[in-house]
Amino acid sequence: MTSRVGAAVTPEDTMTRLAPWIAALTAFVLTATAAGAQEAPALARLTGADKTPLQKLIAAAVKEGQVVYLDTVIQPATNDTLSEAFRKYYALPPAFKVNYTTMTPGNVITRLEQEMRANRITVDVGAVASPPWAFARVKEGRIMAYDSPEYAAYAKSFALGLGKPPYFAFNGAYFFVPMWNAETLKFTGTSWKDLLGVAPSGRLSTTDPTVSDSALMTYIGLRTIIDLPFFEEVAKLKPVLLYKSEIIASRLISGEDLLAMYGMPTRAYQFNQRGARLQVMSPKEGVVLLPQVMFILQDCPHPAAAKLWLDFILSEQGQTILAEREALISGRSGFVSPIPDVVPSIDTVKTIAINWDAITPDSMQKARAEWAGVFKR
Amino acid sequence: MEAPATSTRGIRPATTGPQSQRSSVASTVLQVTLPAAAVAAGLVLVAGPIVSTLWRSVLASDTGYDDWTWNNFVALALDRGIQQGAINTIVTGLGVTLFSAILGCLLAWIVARTDVAGRKSFEILNLIPFFFSPYVGAMSWLYIAAPNSGILPKLLQPWLGNAFAFPNVYSVGGVIWVLSLFYTPYIYLFVIGPMRSMDGALEDAARVHGAGFWYTTRTITVPLLLPALMSGALVVFVTSAGLFDVPLSIAAPRGIHMIPTDIFKAVQYPTDIGRASALATIMMLATIAFAVVQQRYINARRFDTISGKGYQPRPVRLGRAGRAAALGIQIAYFVTAAVLPIVALLMVSLSPLWTGLFRPASANLSNFHYVLFDYRMTQTAIANSLFVAVVGATLGVALGGLQAYFVRRRRTRLSALVEPVLSLPLGIPGIIIGLGFLILLIRTPLYTTIWIIIVACVAHFFPLAMRNISAMLLSINPELEQSARASGATWLQAMRFIMIPLLRPALIASWLLLFVILVRELGASILLYAQGTETISVALVILSEQNFGYVAALAVIQVVLLLGGFFLMRRNAATFLGR
Repeated sequence: MTSRVGAAVTPEDTMTRLAPWIAALTAFVLTATAAGAQEAPALARLTGADKTPLQKLIAAAVKEGQVVYLDTVIQPATNDTLSEAFRKYYALPPAFKVNYTTMTPGNVITRLEQEMRANRITVDVGAVASPPWAFARVKEGRIMAYDSPEYAAYAKSFALGLGKPPYFAFNGAYFFVPMWNAETLKFTGTSWKDLLGVAPSGRLSTTDPTVSDSALMTYIGLRTIIDLPFFEEVAKLKPVLLYKSEIIASRLISGEDLLAMYGMPTRAYQFNQRGARLQVMSPKEGVVLLPQVMFILQDCPHPAAAKLWLDFILSEQGQTILAEREALISGRSGFVSPIPDVVPSIDTVKTIAINWDAITPDSMQKARAEWAGVFKR
Repeated sequence: MEAPATSTRGIRPATTGPQSQRSSVASTVLQVTLPAAAVAAGLVLVAGPIVSTLWRSVLASDTGYDDWTWNNFVALALDRGIQQGAINTIVTGLGVTLFSAILGCLLAWIVARTDVAGRKSFEILNLIPFFFSPYVGAMSWLYIAAPNSGILPKLLQPWLGNAFAFPNVYSVGGVIWVLSLFYTPYIYLFVIGPMRSMDGALEDAARVHGAGFWYTTRTITVPLLLPALMSGALVVFVTSAGLFDVPLSIAAPRGIHMIPTDIFKAVQYPTDIGRASALATIMMLATIAFAVVQQRYINARRFDTISGKGYQPRPVRLGRAGRAAALGIQIAYFVTAAVLPIVALLMVSLSPLWTGLFRPASANLSNFHYVLFDYRMTQTAIANSLFVAVVGATLGVALGGLQAYFVRRRRTRLSALVEPVLSLPLGIPGIIIGLGFLILLIRTPLYTTIWIIIVACVAHFFPLAMRNISAMLLSINPELEQSARASGATWLQAMRFIMIPLLRPALIASWLLLFVILVRELGASILLYAQGTETISVALVILSEQNFGYVAALAVIQVVLLLGGFFLMRRNAATFLGR
């Protein structure tokens, strides 16, 4: 097509020029409409009248526009994967935001308690490995009652005291085990007690149960099978106090620490994919399984989105992502781990039995005081 | 300094009609009420956190407002950890004061009084550490000198052998070392002015009478500097002992108690606000006592090193060895306090997996990509920090400017009383200001918004603006403003066309100073942030629990912002250096 300088532009010329644009626009509108009309996978599973409540929930979530959650384990890249899958699962618009921050368990609880004290809740969903804390907040009416349709798959976990319907289930469990860097330490121990005499003073890391509930639960559990003198010997090694599993692993990789008492297998899995050589031990006495309980806060700003998020995380798809990306152990009945070598089935983990119901604020404070006395903190 | 040009455009000549009289009355009302309102706002900002902390420290719980108790203080008195923390905090304050005083005086002397090469450049370069975030400084020194994974131990161990043990940076000594590097510019700023204007004839007279270099320094130079040095040392002692950032990253992982980190820990789960308030009250009373001592000391001393007699400040001519030593000290300080930390941050930030050694072959920008594009929290934090810094600096300068006007132009007993009271927040640690506002505002709509951080930041740092502008106002004769008013200008016109142009250097310097301080602020914001209101410093603390590379990348971004502020401020260097 040529154009003549100075010649008049006819309507036909204009139409000819615009034709490709109009065609492209029409195609875009048709595609978008078709996509919009496509049913959300979450709805496609349901039939008839069962769809209506979920449709209403999705519509309300779209109106809310976002969900906000705090977590202690999930890494940003995993959050991106979860967010993308979540939007697809409920056919939420791309503008729907999933805002989150990962913090230490102590920080998560501090933030939530402050907002509860202020009666200004900005967080919708919280997840922290402290069932006693969650039980106590249920009693105070701080956690929303929501009977998730996914709870049916968690009946076995509830029966073990690892949740409380209709308030919370656990979105994944983890445990702490001794961890080291094969490049800096050759270690062949098989028992918690083998940790003594391996690392010189100041080269062992542990964590502080006075500020971290997951560390406290582990300490309470370990104390049921290991006597106090073991911890007194650990204290003599002047351990470094660390609060986040990523940093515990990072310091082993950099060589700053030789041995970590509370390493997280998840981090070994993640860092080893990036070239590290972290190893973990499965102590013959067992481990303390820490269920990361997930709940919706009463009076949260985006309740509909929060319900959808909780449902999704507890679903088969959400659990698969968490197992693959964070190596979390699922409490979902019949769940098949996508990486069984790294994430064993919950039934196959040798655990130290904990009676979560029996853990009270007083017993927690007593355990904190005992630890602080031993470690002179 | 050349006076900035003022303009009379826009000033209408005086008229005598009723409209003019109304305008004149309104202007006078404004002249009285605006500065008075700023002072009142300042007093509320000062009193609010102090009173709420004092009040909460003697309450048994958050809700039992009539349940008074001393138990919080009794529990502290019986706590061995707190006793150790108090000792560590005092030792840190004294150590930092001593080291930074020695180093600051030495650097100021080299720049102001010697003929060492490049002193013009060092005059500015010595200030760079002043603009860094202490938290970033501490993190970078952990990368540099952590005993088993630090860059220096790993690089030097093959040469030095295993017999040589590097000093453990995870110690009170490590805290003192890092803080000293960052507080040296404070002393430097305090003493460089007096050192520059010192009459060299006094030292010459001593030498003519046979006094040696050290004798002259001890009996002439140091006594002349002592008022400025003591004033700076008191500021450094109080602020370094109360600083939260460095102990958090260096002392806390080893379980070393320091009062600022103990306050933070008491606010964390399991939360004990009563304990935190009692600790804060003790520390606050101590810092207020120091502030009073400082005020009295300054008021009782003569600071004039410039006399009416003709004199020529001459540089001391150093020998070749002296010049080499002086240059060595200058370079060593700049490398240690600025170059090494930046290089360490760059190395870690460019490493996908930090192993304690930089491997150029595997270096990439993935950590920067992550914090800039992949992680919403860090993106929000950068935007929030800029917002807090811009809005906070603007509010702080507006408030400080009006307060300075009240203090300098209303020479009443009230204004003399107001100035030291309004200066109090400068001596109070940020963590205590943050705690005070947390207690005060937790049940208001401000909580969980960015505005609670801005309020706390303005409350902490507006006195800096007030002092800077107040000093400049002293040098502006009130007759200029009075002439404008006599010529028919309203008060606002006199401000706009006379005072603000004259005050411009101080206003800009104050704004930039507050901007830089607020970009790196951590003490108050760590207790006041919520989901979505994280600042860069808060994000650094959160990231420091996750990945060395991410924290280093965000730290580099913060350093770039701070250096940007620094280079802008260089244009106002003359004002900033008090020349």
